Amino acid sequence: MAALPGERASAGRIPPGLRNLVILLLLWEVVGHFGLVAQGALPSPTAILERLWIDRADYPRHIEATLIGSSLGFLFGNLIGVGAGIVFALSPRMLRLFRGVNVAIFSLPAIAIAPILTLTLTGMEPRVVLATLGVYFVTMTATVVGISQADSRATDMVRAYGGGRVKVLTMVQLRGALPSILSGFRIAAPNAVLGAILAEFGGGGDRWGLGVYLLGSLGQGMPTRLWGIGLVATAIAGLSYLAFALIARRFVGATRAVTLNAAVPGGDATDEPLASRLLFAAGSLALPFCFWWLFIWGTGAPWLIAKTPLGVADYLFFSPASASAQARLLHALGQTLPVTGIGMLVGLAFAFLLAISSRLFPEAVRAFMPVALVTQTMPLVALTPLLVLILGRGTSLTLWVTISVTFFPAFVTLAQGLALVPRSAVELPRAYGAGVWREMRMVTIPASLPYLFAATRLTVPRALLGVMIAEWLATGTGLGNLLNQSRGYLDYGMIWTVAAVAVLVSAACYQIVVLAERRVLRRLGMRTAE
Amino acid sequence: MLRLNRRRFLGSSAAGLVASALPMRSFAAGSSPLRMQASWINDGEFMGYFVAIDKGYYKAEGLDLTYLPGGPDVIPESTIIAGHADLTLTTPDTTIKAIAEQGAPFKIIGTEYQKNPLGVISLASKPIRTPADLVGKTLAVPPVNVISVDAMLKLNHVDPSKVKIVPYAYDPTPLIKGEVDATLDFVTDVPYTIEQQGVKVVSFLLYDYGFTIYNDTVVVTEDVLKSKRKELVAWLRASRKGWNDNFADPKAWPPKFKDTWFKGSGRTVGNEVFLNEAQKPLIETPKGIFSMTEEGIDANLKALADVGIKGTRKMFDTTLLEEI
Amino acid sequence: MAAEGLSLAGIGKTFRGRGRTVEALREVSLTCPAGSFTALIGPSGCGKSTVMRIALGLEAPDTGTARIAGMAPAEAARSGLTGVAFQDAALLPWRSVMRNVEAPLEVLGRKRDAHTARVRALIDLVGLTGYENSLPGELSGGMRQRVAIARALVTEPQVLFMDEPFGALDQILRRQMNVELQRVWAETGSTALLVTHGIDEAVFLADRVLVMQANPGRIVEAIEVPFARPRAPSLWSDPAFHALCDRIAEALTGGAVDA
Repeated sequence: MAALPGERASAGRIPPGLRNLVILLLLWEVVGHFGLVAQGALPSPTAILERLWIDRADYPRHIEATLIGSSLGFLFGNLIGVGAGIVFALSPRMLRLFRGVNVAIFSLPAIAIAPILTLTLTGMEPRVVLATLGVYFVTMTATVVGISQADSRATDMVRAYGGGRVKVLTMVQLRGALPSILSGFRIAAPNAVLGAILAEFGGGGDRWGLGVYLLGSLGQGMPTRLWGIGLVATAIAGLSYLAFALIARRFVGATRAVTLNAAVPGGDATDEPLASRLLFAAGSLALPFCFWWLFIWGTGAPWLIAKTPLGVADYLFFSPASASAQARLLHALGQTLPVTGIGMLVGLAFAFLLAISSRLFPEAVRAFMPVALVTQTMPLVALTPLLVLILGRGTSLTLWVTISVTFFPAFVTLAQGLALVPRSAVELPRAYGAGVWREMRMVTIPASLPYLFAATRLTVPRALLGVMIAEWLATGTGLGNLLNQSRGYLDYGMIWTVAAVAVLVSAACYQIVVLAERRVLRRLGMRTAE
Repeated sequence: MLRLNRRRFLGSSAAGLVASALPMRSFAAGSSPLRMQASWINDGEFMGYFVAIDKGYYKAEGLDLTYLPGGPDVIPESTIIAGHADLTLTTPDTTIKAIAEQGAPFKIIGTEYQKNPLGVISLASKPIRTPADLVGKTLAVPPVNVISVDAMLKLNHVDPSKVKIVPYAYDPTPLIKGEVDATLDFVTDVPYTIEQQGVKVVSFLLYDYGFTIYNDTVVVTEDVLKSKRKELVAWLRASRKGWNDNFADPKAWPPKFKDTWFKGSGRTVGNEVFLNEAQKPLIETPKGIFSMTEEGIDANLKALADVGIKGTRKMFDTTLLEEI
Repeated sequence: MAAEGLSLAGIGKTFRGRGRTVEALREVSLTCPAGSFTALIGPSGCGKSTVMRIALGLEAPDTGTARIAGMAPAEAARSGLTGVAFQDAALLPWRSVMRNVEAPLEVLGRKRDAHTARVRALIDLVGLTGYENSLPGELSGGMRQRVAIARALVTEPQVLFMDEPFGALDQILRRQMNVELQRVWAETGSTALLVTHGIDEAVFLADRVLVMQANPGRIVEAIEVPFARPRAPSLWSDPAFHALCDRIAEALTGGAVDA
């Protein structure tokens, strides 16, 4: 599951990925050189390289700063993520109690909380925190999934010899979870880099870092440099992804169960008394707000800047400015939400088609992957002038940005799900002479349903993030713009409000997806792919 | 983007941000510590302070000054509330809004720029020379400045709905490519960047069309004003000397800072020289740099009232200037 | 050697899932005297694997008690009295053959080094010499099952549980393994409980065959196997052997007609 779909291309020939990449680069060179796209706003690769060479002295310290920030975030995020994942996997009660926190962290649109981190923290802290947040959820989830999906037969073996939870954990579950955790790291690594860069760009707190460099370069009207910085960021993110993909691949062959484990998953704690369940639900809701309070208390930020949940409620409902604040907020939501929904659906559909295609046309998809990866890691701001010139400043731009930020994680999740369909299940219809399409319809697509839901959950906050970025950079509408303006006006109440509302909206959408997922999967007797 | 306010965003340039990761400190023994937060990265906008530090003016005043460079991420007012700095450079609109609407304990004790350098910049081939020329055009504006532009248009009897305003993504490329007709930016800096690409630009200041506010105002909290009054006066005096030295020959200083204050910023010395010369008429005043006249304060309050920010004379404290 | 062997008394177990309840076991009682070899045979879904899981402490019975050498199953397992080979080999896919065989020692906290020779001997016993460092993914299904047998024996268990351990093997290999298993079992003197659906395997190996039927799972007949030990491969062609097999087949189907 670590390998990207199609990575098993036969050796000996020129890998189609490489070949297509070369064709793509040549095409790009021609287009860039003759200024064929967007009145020449798309620079040619050689022009970008030339600029990189000229600027080479500027890079080392910026790269170093970004690496330090993202590595620290990666480290903390993984430590916390694996630790929490183990606790959650062992104690479903803890998982339920922290559900609210996890959903909130997962749903945080980074762009909404970057200003808050900048307000309350200093120096490297905001970027480390943002990178940590970007890493935590991915790793935590991967750990829980890996551990809870450990082969129940191997678990039985250990238990049959009197092995307790710890033995089961150390001998079977952790090692069995390793591929899952590694694939988590693989997604988390570029997340850390992007989180750090976003924090640098959106308010990082240091003079160094690629995000800071990018920001400083915007005013220079030098697309070649913006692309250069973007490509360097992409290279760092891509290399980190690749490193973990390679490590993961080493383990996958050996750890993939050879036969189908048909064990029925344990049900929820439905036996628990209603009172206790309500208590946990309430605790789970309250905990994120407790963390919010704790964060403000912990940072010691002054009241004027740092708004507690009560402060936000006061701002939004009881202060003299509340009427205006409500009106602005509702207006912005009205602009942001519809586009978010549409963008998410389209992004998801695209990912699903691509994932299915990766089974049917592995080579074509393999060729597409480098491009796809670049769209994920290229800081959007570097592309904004180009996008604006090509797409204008309307809804189509917002949609494109949203699709581009949602489809990749959705695709990875789906492709991974498809790759996990047991060999024997896939081979069964083939054995009866079924063609590829029939096999897909009978086995692969139904089997990937849990992963389609998982992908949907994954795309909810990213869609909101994409829309807000587009609004902030190009269209000047919606929540993204409101947040940006509020920063400028020192409207601290609104900054916190937008952040809180963005998280709440995102968390609510997530919850809706989860409920739908539970119903559908339960009916089909399938298990949720966390 | 907070920073947008002062549009610095843009112009600023490149690799700019670079300057120094560590706060620069003018070492001095046995003197009073004072921390100043600049509003942007190290560029020509802060020439006077660099000159004063290098020539030892703060030290001579008994100050142990720590200079904290600003940046897109630094919200100047936040640093003084949080106590990270004693004084900060910022813009009057954000400060007065924070005092009026959130009860922030700020006082404005001086101003670097007499005239805000924010202006409308357009290509000479499709020039926009007055607010009236904006009708039917697309203007890229940092979101935070939209109300300022609206106010300026109204003051000049231009219907804001006739001007298409889009967010400014801080990159002059859309202007150069003609995707937008004009941008709202610092006229002291961006024209240089654009003209380096062989394109001529024209511009006008919002200040000259009724949006009469200062820029890089010196702001402190009321607490600091009480406890460090002497140091603040000393800082104003030393800084004024630095600025005077700088403007004695605006071309002379930027090259000297190439490898110190400006090191690693992707900006060229030519850019800083341009900025330094362009800002001279906006900063200098017969009453001495940092001065705030009653007329000037009135003009600020009136312009801000037009955008719905209700300030009062009490938010300004000119008594320190009198002690210089 | 063993003190008391295995006893189950009045075991009942009901599963609930997806809105239905299934009574898997009702009033199942059995006693395996120390050193005896008992086979549990029955149709698919009659609950024979559940009996074993309860005896191993992997499932808790709703009613009744299970005792191994006088101890609760979990306690016996922790004391290292039991050995188990599952229906599915249940090997740890990331461990070599050697390390898989050693796994129970690790669970019990015993020193692996002290048992290296024994582990090698067991691997040799199951015919896998030369594959010590192979990963399960590189082995055939039969080879994996043999690793599981070796693993079941590594602790020198007093009570040995086997859940269709040779189900995946071909007939020839299976009979070979049956002979080997008999030898090993005789050497260790352990109490053995074999869950199987192979009649000839049950008759060849066991002192007593317990026949189960489904819905609800219960033991319907206990048949003593009188053949002397050690039993030689020639037993498979003995008419008396076939007569006994036929009787068991009858008990299996006869019960079905009853129901």
